[in-house]
Amino acid sequence: MALIDFQTALGRMLREQNRDDYLRGISLDEDESRYFENLRDTAEFRFYASVQRSWCIARATKAAHLTLSLLPPEERERLLDQWVDSGSGAQSFFFVEADSFLDFIGNYLADRPREFEVCQFERATLRAGNGANVFVPPDLEGLQRPDCYLRRGSYAAVVRLEELFSAGLIVMFSPGLPQLWHEPPTEELDLWEALESPTPVSTLLNRGHSLETLERLLAHGALEYAE
Amino acid sequence: MPDNAVLPVNGKPIQPLGVGFPYFAALPADLYRSDLVAFAEITPETLCRQRATGTTTQIEIIPDRLATAKDTCAGLPVVIHGVELSIGSAHGLNDGYLRMLDSFQKEWPFVWHSEHLGFQTIAGDDDSTLEIGVPLPMPATLEAVELVATRSTTIQQRYSVPFLLENPAHYFSALPTDPEIGNEYGFLGAFTQKSGCYLLLDLHNLYCNAINHHFDAREVIATLPLERVIEIHVAGGSWRDGFWMDAHDGRVPEPVWELLDYVLPLAPNVAGVVFELLEDYAVRLGAPAIRDELKRAWHIWNLRHGAN
Repeated sequence: MALIDFQTALGRMLREQNRDDYLRGISLDEDESRYFENLRDTAEFRFYASVQRSWCIARATKAAHLTLSLLPPEERERLLDQWVDSGSGAQSFFFVEADSFLDFIGNYLADRPREFEVCQFERATLRAGNGANVFVPPDLEGLQRPDCYLRRGSYAAVVRLEELFSAGLIVMFSPGLPQLWHEPPTEELDLWEALESPTPVSTLLNRGHSLETLERLLAHGALEYAE
Repeated sequence: MPDNAVLPVNGKPIQPLGVGFPYFAALPADLYRSDLVAFAEITPETLCRQRATGTTTQIEIIPDRLATAKDTCAGLPVVIHGVELSIGSAHGLNDGYLRMLDSFQKEWPFVWHSEHLGFQTIAGDDDSTLEIGVPLPMPATLEAVELVATRSTTIQQRYSVPFLLENPAHYFSALPTDPEIGNEYGFLGAFTQKSGCYLLLDLHNLYCNAINHHFDAREVIATLPLERVIEIHVAGGSWRDGFWMDAHDGRVPEPVWELLDYVLPLAPNVAGVVFELLEDYAVRLGAPAIRDELKRAWHIWNLRHGAN
């Protein structure tokens, strides 16, 4: 049996535990096919499958601890099962796994405002924390270039917590802020709202946004240059 | 030069280091500054993050984490123990890991470099790389040996330090096998012969397989190219669903200590023994218990090498 066929079949059997077409596109003779059929019936394969599944669930649980804690146990279990059944949960790097899983849960919770806000909050914290690992404040001189465009920062977010707090709370997350977040003043929020897509600096200034606000948000990563 | 120093690559001998311990940011730094730790084993991925750039994935070193690790290890020799290479994946190994290690070596040179013998990725239906979620063992076939040996030789040349492969713990009793290779331990012999590379003998993995696949670990040790063993791991595990699992979740079982005592005199070029743990369990186990395990490892090491 060719190595790539062996690995593809075995890898699929573990990644896609609810599918039976793990040999799709693989040319195996009868004995080789039987090897995998027999393997799937063994205690050792079932052990591997259970370890794989529990590790995938553990990665996802760690990723969205706060949001999952708001859900009833049976709903939490169902969501985690759906996630792992889709072949997810196998990424070894925490951030990649966490961000995808929070996106998945966010879609699921879209019509449940309180849980959705917590999910957005958790995802924003995760992103800003990940960005803080590598964030270097940019050179603000770039704002003087005539062709300079700005966009929202890749690791930044604004989260509105209006269901969780009766008075409403708006939080800006960005990787260069000392605690990763603050409550943005009106001028920062207006600038954020104005940047739904990359926009020339000259346009922003013409619309009344101040250079000082641009510099401040750029300096802590809420905004970034759009190259 | 001591009698047992070997000449692995580029004529540079490896001096015996003693007992080492994995670097964990969550443990007190004074553990790494004590006499109990002669070298630090670094898993560089724990100091990194992954970022997708277009169609490729980059593994980037996080500068602050690297600086903290260097400060904690305060001048100790370091060795690399990677987990993300997937050296046995037939569709391709993780080039992003090697690119990261290129940068890492410039920042923090290492004495040797080890990886796990196995694969953890496959190609998706669209040829993308899919992670399986658990490491899997290689079949003992000529094709697999050829693939891993060729890649290992290239890696050893790339970093100019010895490249070691670790025998894995796994739970399959009937992997495909070619008669020329015999079994997974025959794989290790054929690999060292073909590649000119070295072995990390994980005694807990061997112990796991011996329990789960019903063989005598000492009989297997007699078949291994012990002169190619540069590093030894000891670790703990636990029972799960009727299998002894390589969980790295606690103290070293007595039979694994006995295997270390048995194998050290037979493996003349061992330069380091590492007590392996997962970080979460290291924190739970605590520094005093870790120190006890390190003392035990030193005791066995000193029987062979003499006290410093």
